[in-house]
Parts: sequence; C-alpha cells; structure tokens
Amino acid sequence: MAGEIGEARIRIPDQIRKGDVITVHSIVSHPMDTGFFRNRDGDPIPAYFIKDVVVTYGESDVARFEWTSGISRDPVVTFTLRADREAPLTMVWTDNKGGVYRQSVHITFATA
Amino acid sequence: MSSLSRRNFLRAAALTTGAVLGSGLAANAEPLLGRQPGPEDPEVPNEEVARILRERFGDRPIRRGHVSLDMPAVAEDGRVVPVIIESDLPMAPDAYVKGVHLIVDHNPDAHLAAFHLTPAIGSVAITTRIKMKRTTWVRAIVETSRGELWADYTKVLVTLNGCG
Repeated sequence: MAGEIGEARIRIPDQIRKGDVITVHSIVSHPMDTGFFRNRDGDPIPAYFIKDVVVTYGESDVARFEWTSGISRDPVVTFTLRADREAPLTMVWTDNKGGVYRQSVHITFATA
Repeated sequence: MSSLSRRNFLRAAALTTGAVLGSGLAANAEPLLGRQPGPEDPEVPNEEVARILRERFGDRPIRRGHVSLDMPAVAEDGRVVPVIIESDLPMAPDAYVKGVHLIVDHNPDAHLAAFHLTPAIGSVAITTRIKMKRTTWVRAIVETSRGELWADYTKVLVTLNGCG
C-alpha cells in the first residue's frame, strides 16, 4: 500500500450472522521510522511511528494496542470481534507526532 | 558434532521430551518455582527484558501454555517478520485475556507491542508484522483478568537487520 500517510482500510467478512466471532483485517499507511536509520545525506531520520490504536464498536472501546517503531512499515493488524449488534467498528491510529487517522466500517447482519 | 555437543544435544532432547510429557500435568499445577524458567524457557538475557517483566508482571509466575506464538524459524528480512499469537483462554465477561505482550529480547525497543483486549473481542487471534534486529528469542505473554500469566516462546534466526 503506497497511499498517503494515514490512509487506512478495514476489511470484515461479507456475510455476518449475529453472534459470529469475525476476523477483522486492517492496514494503515505509515513509514514507522525507528529513528535509527539515516538518509542518503547521512542525516538521521527521526522516529515517526504509530504508538496507539483504539478499536471502538458502537459506543464501547473494545481493544487498545500500544505500539513501538518495531511494528513494520504500513502496519497491518488482524484481530477478532464478537459481532453481537449492528454498529460501526472504528479504528483510530495515533502517531508520535500527534497525527490521528481514523477509519470505520459498519457491522450489519446478513438477512437470512 | 563433537562428543560433548552431542551429549548436550541428547540431554536437551531428553529434557524437551520430558517437558512435553509433563506439560499436561504442569499446566494445572500451582507453580513451585515462581519466576524461575522451566527447562525449555529462554533465560532473561539482559536488564532491559528483566525490567519489562518486573514492571509489567511483578513477581507473578509466568507459565508456559494456553498461548501459541507462531513465527518463521528463519526471517530472511528483519524488516517484515510475520507474527501470529493465539490463545485458547476464554473471553467471557468474568474471565478473559486482558493483555497480550510481545517482547523481542534483542530489539532496541524490546517490549515491541501490547494488545489490550476486552471480552467483546471474542477470542485471542492476533496477527501483525514486526521488525527484528538480530537472532533472538521472542516472547508472547498473555495476562488474564484474574492476573494469571501464560506464555509461549520462539527463537527466530534473523539474517538481515530490520531495525537499523
């Protein structure tokens, strides 16, 4: 993914039934610079990385991830969610320079 | 293989076999040894990892079991190393996994990530991709809402430094 910094996608299954534990895939575009590398001119590249991810389902915070620059460039993370109601699933990524990136999908149940 | 290293290998193999056979019993038994590692657990290699374990978990015992940490045995590119962490522990309102900690012993930031969970997550099945500086043990430690600690460990051989 070579989008702008903070461009994000969340993928959930097409067909969800109430009560399913679904797998949520996510990716956000970010350099995740460690601060240990130098550019071609020999100048250090400052640390620039996502340090916090909050996952909200409806009104509830259901997960929070503490990250370091040890997560690879363009971070992907997969986790599960118990889909027990129709509501938005939102992820908010925050980096160490105050950048805040947000993406949402709506959990809806398949009609039988 | 010299006779000495062969003997060490055989002893290690015997210990591993014993640990596997005994693990079903050990998983339910109260810990007798506290923080001391089991025969197949990696030793704490440096003060940084010791500090992380102390600050996050105090002196509670960390037992092997209920967690699986899957990574490649050989990571050819340390910039992108896949990680899968799963657990069979329940995610019920009164008993759930509240934290999953990923520690890479010889990385500059050894406590690479923490995943704080709630029962709404439904199961522990986390995948991501990480950077690794060099060959090292990796620890996945889960903490339950009741304060129990369970772990799995894997050693990853890194051929290209991904941390700078």
